Amino acid sequence: MGLSNADLRKPLRAVKSYALALLYVAIALGTALFLASQNFQGVEFPVFLVAISITVWYEGTGPAILALVLSSLAFNYYFTEPLHTFYVTRSDLPYYAMFILFASLLTWFSAVRRRVERDLRQSRDELEKEVAVRTQQANLLNLTHDTIFVRDVSDIITYWNRGAQEMYGWTPEEAIGRCSHSLLQTVFPASLDDISAQLAQTGRWEGELRHVKADGTGVVVSSRWSLQRDEKGHPVATMETNNDITERKRREEEVRNLNQELGHRSSELEAANKELEAFAYSVSHDLRAPLRHMVGYAELLSKNASSVLNDKGHRYMAMILEAAKRMGNLIDDLLAFSRIGRAEAQKTIVNLDQLVKEAVSEVRQETSGRSIEWKIENLPQCYGDRSMLRLVLVNLVSNAVKFTRERTRAEIEIGCAAGSKREVEVFVRDNGAGFDMKYVGKLFGVFQRLHHADAFEGTGIGLATVQRVIHRHGGKVRAEGQVDQGATFYFSVPAA
Amino acid sequence: MVEDDPKDVELSLSALEEYNLANEVIVTRDGEEALDYLYCRGKYKDRSSDNPAVLLLDLKLPKVDGLEVLRQVKSDEKLKIIPVVVLTSSHEEKDMVASYKLGVNAYVVKPVDFHEFVNAIKELGVFWAVINAAPPGSVRK
Repeated sequence: MGLSNADLRKPLRAVKSYALALLYVAIALGTALFLASQNFQGVEFPVFLVAISITVWYEGTGPAILALVLSSLAFNYYFTEPLHTFYVTRSDLPYYAMFILFASLLTWFSAVRRRVERDLRQSRDELEKEVAVRTQQANLLNLTHDTIFVRDVSDIITYWNRGAQEMYGWTPEEAIGRCSHSLLQTVFPASLDDISAQLAQTGRWEGELRHVKADGTGVVVSSRWSLQRDEKGHPVATMETNNDITERKRREEEVRNLNQELGHRSSELEAANKELEAFAYSVSHDLRAPLRHMVGYAELLSKNASSVLNDKGHRYMAMILEAAKRMGNLIDDLLAFSRIGRAEAQKTIVNLDQLVKEAVSEVRQETSGRSIEWKIENLPQCYGDRSMLRLVLVNLVSNAVKFTRERTRAEIEIGCAAGSKREVEVFVRDNGAGFDMKYVGKLFGVFQRLHHADAFEGTGIGLATVQRVIHRHGGKVRAEGQVDQGATFYFSVPAA
Repeated sequence: MVEDDPKDVELSLSALEEYNLANEVIVTRDGEEALDYLYCRGKYKDRSSDNPAVLLLDLKLPKVDGLEVLRQVKSDEKLKIIPVVVLTSSHEEKDMVASYKLGVNAYVVKPVDFHEFVNAIKELGVFWAVINAAPPGSVRK
């Protein structure tokens, strides 16, 4: 099957039209002959005209011309003298010409009418299509959640979508025909003249507007205007698309308020910090001075009155001096501890090997005459405040030295536990006095001591300082120990 | 010596006494008096205009504080050759850094322990008043 139905149908219909034209002329000829045989005179002319008319009306111009030609021939052959010839006498010529002219006119009128009708139908179809497209577009505008309305040059609303109805509360019937600015009680961010000027110049405008809804509540919208122009460039309408940003504005306001409060709090905090700093400064000066005087005068007394003091007196004097000295150490340690909280950490890449060396050599001064076996592994680099981390190592190492005092052979090991890529975990292990794991939670607290002051001296601030420094580095501290079996202290810091 | 605390003054002097240096010490009680002394004005306007061999300066002082005295001394053409030793109660790193930036010659934290204190004062006195060759124009008794 090479040809489809549609391809076949067109020539078939043409053939059918011409066949019908032939048929109409034949019927007209038969009717005319029958009427002539019944002695009706002068009817053949209109009968053929009727046949041509029907053909032109129903079958179109081509078949009508065929019908005209055939009718002329039949008319000539059967009804004009001499009969049964195609010869036209001179006297019949006007009659015959009249027939052709009349039939031609009929055909032409009919053809014109048909064309007009076809054009009309076509434009109606196009119009319908256009309406359908427009309706669909309007429906799409209705589907969007955005609030869209259109107003003409005098700000009268001409279109009002569903989003507008939902946001403002007026139906399209209520809104269309009203002046938009007065309906919505619009508050503009600038003068309306300026806005209109910008709109006219660039064809668009964007900004924030305040509107009042049908129920009387206010709403803040982010508004976009687009100007529609006709072919000559004259403005005809403005489309206004509005988005409700009331909630966003409220949140922005909230954030602003919170920020303000935060700023307020932080300046309060800063003031408190300054006060604390002044306090610590004053403590470091003023609290140490009287102590120094106490010790000084006690010393002078014991020197000048040495002969009048008995053993008891000398012991009392020694106690006063010892107590004052201890107080001095406490103040120094406390100040160092508070300074860690106040000072700004200056973080760099820190060589832990170097730092351990420094810490050990600082502590070694206290180890003269003792047998200590140091085991120091290679350590990686880390990232932190050098002087603070040095303080940590000095504290841990001097603790290890202190608590191994009773051992004939002390072992102190410093190394690196299995850390992750981001962290370095360092440990300091000793074989000293150790501690009971049930008190491990108290170990890092300020002024917490697990040993009696007469066994191991100390202020109870060292490990608290360690914890504070490590926490400021975002690391962790932990300890393992057993009574008389030694202790291990771990701390982790960010890797370099 | 610039020191507002009379007890510290007494203890310091008693330490210096052992080396017979106490009589050479001029004590001023606040920063203003110290500056008056150095500039030979106020109650010191009649003194000879020699500079002291060394200035022992406390930081926490009434009226004009120690750091301000140090700043003025070290920015004065005539006075800046005087060796200045800051002698303070505090371990504050801030003060130490500020003092060194202003050009202090030594920074000593007064120890609580009296022996250490005495030793520190004595050593300072001996070093600056006896061992050290004082700059020209200084008092020498």
